[in-house]
Amino acid sequence: MPGVVVDIAFAWATLLLLAGGLLLLRAPDTLHRVLALDVLVAIVIALLTILSYLRDVSYYIDAALALALLSFTATLVAARYVTRGGPF
Amino acid sequence: MLAAIGVALLLLGLTLATIGLVGLLRMPEILHQLHAAGLVTGPAVILVLLASVASGSAEIITSAALVILFVLVTAPLSAHAIAQAARRRPRR
Repeated sequence: MPGVVVDIAFAWATLLLLAGGLLLLRAPDTLHRVLALDVLVAIVIALLTILSYLRDVSYYIDAALALALLSFTATLVAARYVTRGGPF
Repeated sequence: MLAAIGVALLLLGLTLATIGLVGLLRMPEILHQLHAAGLVTGPAVILVLLASVASGSAEIITSAALVILFVLVTAPLSAHAIAQAARRRPRR
């Protein structure tokens, strides 16, 4: 891929991350915050993937995989916590 | 040719993420927001990861395929968990 396009994509994803932070700050209650954090993690996964294209190494995507796993568990547990008052 | 496909997938994915975030910032209710969030956590991330076909490195493509499989399984599950919590939580 041309380097200029990857640079532009990286800057764009960073702006999306700022918008996600704004979303997290504007969230009125816990469930909105859980959703905002889920979206933020999705953007960070895209950002790490673009970083891996930029530097032409693969281990940033492995970090993205670990982050996706953590975010999945955290979202499930937090959603349970909102309804039942505990993770189980 | 492959580079053009990669660029198109990358920019399409970022466009979808932008559309989803605009929806998230405009919608007031949690279920409306969940609709827009599905665009960011599912298709946008998958399109950005699919752009790895243009990187020409076997390690990057393999790792990206693993993440695509994982996202395909977990994105609907976490969206479903949030929707269920929104339905079952005590009324304010």
